[in-house]
Amino acid sequence: MIRPSVGLLGRIVAILLLAVTIEFAVSTYLYERASHVSVRDDEARRLAEHLIVARRVLNERPAFERPEVAEELTTDRYIVSWSSVAPPRPTIAPAMDSMRRQIVDWEPSLAATDIHLRLTSPGRTSVVSGDLRLDDGSLLSFRMREGVRTLDLAFGRVLLALIPAIALMLLSGALIGRILHPLRTLARAADTLGRGQGGGKGAALLVPERGPGEVRHVTRAFNRMQARIGRLIDERTRALAAVGHDLRTPLARLRLRADAIRDDDVREAIGRDIEEMEAMVSSLMAFLGGEGDVEQPELTDLAILCANLADDAADHGRDVRYVGPDHFDCRLRRFGMKRALTNLVENALHYGEHAIITLRTDPGDDVRIRVEDDGPGIPEESLELVLEPFVRLDTARRRDTVGFGLGLSIVARVVAAEGGVLTLANRAEGGLCAEIRLPHCRT
Amino acid sequence: MTPPTILIVEDDPALRTLTARALQENGFAVKLANAAPEMWQALEVGQIDLILLDIMLPGTSGIDLCRQIRQKNAVPIIFISAKGSEVDRVVGLELGADDYLAKPFGTRELVARIRAVLRRGGLENAPGEREAGILGFDGWTANLPRRELMSPSGAQVELTGAEFDLLVAFLDNAQRVVARERLIELSRARIGDSSDRSIDVLVSRLRRKLSGAGGAAPIVTVRGVGYMLNVPVERR
Repeated sequence: MIRPSVGLLGRIVAILLLAVTIEFAVSTYLYERASHVSVRDDEARRLAEHLIVARRVLNERPAFERPEVAEELTTDRYIVSWSSVAPPRPTIAPAMDSMRRQIVDWEPSLAATDIHLRLTSPGRTSVVSGDLRLDDGSLLSFRMREGVRTLDLAFGRVLLALIPAIALMLLSGALIGRILHPLRTLARAADTLGRGQGGGKGAALLVPERGPGEVRHVTRAFNRMQARIGRLIDERTRALAAVGHDLRTPLARLRLRADAIRDDDVREAIGRDIEEMEAMVSSLMAFLGGEGDVEQPELTDLAILCANLADDAADHGRDVRYVGPDHFDCRLRRFGMKRALTNLVENALHYGEHAIITLRTDPGDDVRIRVEDDGPGIPEESLELVLEPFVRLDTARRRDTVGFGLGLSIVARVVAAEGGVLTLANRAEGGLCAEIRLPHCRT
Repeated sequence: MTPPTILIVEDDPALRTLTARALQENGFAVKLANAAPEMWQALEVGQIDLILLDIMLPGTSGIDLCRQIRQKNAVPIIFISAKGSEVDRVVGLELGADDYLAKPFGTRELVARIRAVLRRGGLENAPGEREAGILGFDGWTANLPRRELMSPSGAQVELTGAEFDLLVAFLDNAQRVVARERLIELSRARIGDSSDRSIDVLVSRLRRKLSGAGGAAPIVTVRGVGYMLNVPVERR
């Protein structure tokens, strides 16, 4: 099992994200600091001047006039009020200490007034408020009307800065994805290599050399390897096909020579040997694709194909019955399917006495073809094994097995080419049941 | 009556000799050619009744040769091939070969095939006309060169060689009664399948295959005489 991995793309995006975040944090910090100072300097100066004036005016007035005067001192910028007793002071925000220092720097006389500044949040925005003592110890409170938007501004700026950052991430993600695309194509090609798709025996599916240098290198190497494998397979196929063809000519000579033999028993025995050899050559050719046929699917009456097999066997004195509809049209490679079904029927008759071919075409279900016999069946543990090429279970079964043990492999291959499944099972009442399921052949 | 002359075109000398001997023993006159040039020579010199043509020849391939022969000559051709595949058989028949024989073949099979092709050729008035024959009847399409039958729904319907020959006999005699004896004779001409089924079994199988979803096959029994295809046949 492959450990699930974030993948190259994920990793690169993560690195980008980290880089952008750090960059963002640092620049925000620097920007924030600079703006704090400039805003406050300006703000602090104004506030200081206003406070100096307000304090002087209030100091000169008697206590009973002070609330009214305070009201007059209230501008559209600052709210000023007066009280004789000090309200409890909330904890002071640290940021305000620096503002206080600024104010005091500008108007040093305010230092003696026990001025306090704090940040309060009556609504959604924070405002600067504060108080200072008059000469008689009473309290002048003030509050800025306009909220201090530094914090909100900071939050807005975060958002504002995040939008390009996110856009940047998406863009780079897409770009990196493009870079990685050839790699994915390569992986797919490697995955399908050797599956024999498109009917190609070693037909190389060249992957275009694209993308960054490293990927190009890998692609080129893969293509070369693919071509080498293709050549090897083609050579092997050609060589074996040539052997097959060349074997048939001497077999033909042998066959004609055998006809001259007077002794009937000997002639027939030799005839059987020749037939067996021919059957072996044929199955080898079919398995290796040595005949060089690339068959296309065509509309075929599968019911008649199956019925024919039963008729043929019956003509040769064997008991094979066909059970199923009279007609059933479907799309498949008919010569291949005929070969597969012939192999199954021959197998059934080799090990059993009777065989039944069943075609089921229930609507809503896969098309199923069953070939059942009454032979000894196959040991459960070997049911998978017999589908492998060149495997024969001679030990457990009769010794007179014909051929290379390719019969069922050829069937499996034909069925796979149709997108179907071949399953072997032992019947409860004895014998073997070979079932072909064809999910895609319906028209 | 002079024996039919068979021209054997085969590049393997031993097989050529053996085939020749087998044919001579069965009463045929034989001429030999190992490749295309000799074949053309033989065709010019004398009357040839049938060519046994190996598909895999040095130089020009048997397939090309077959095409060239067909352009000039309607002489029956039997393909001999070391490839045993069905697709190959169809290609050969499509190109105008009259039959197809896969290596290895026995004397009996070879002789019977040759006789069948010669007889078929004899039955035909103009062999060349039949080669291109695509016949339609009752929605069905019979492709004679490829020996294929297509159902009204467009599906390929598998017929055995004997069944196809039977169908051809009916098609050649559409809407006429064909005597049982004639059909038996015809089915004897066909071999390779060493079965002993009767003509009635063959007819019933052909009927079953020709039965459509709606109705019965267009072959009727004429009691005491034989069978008849009771629909018109159109040549395409």
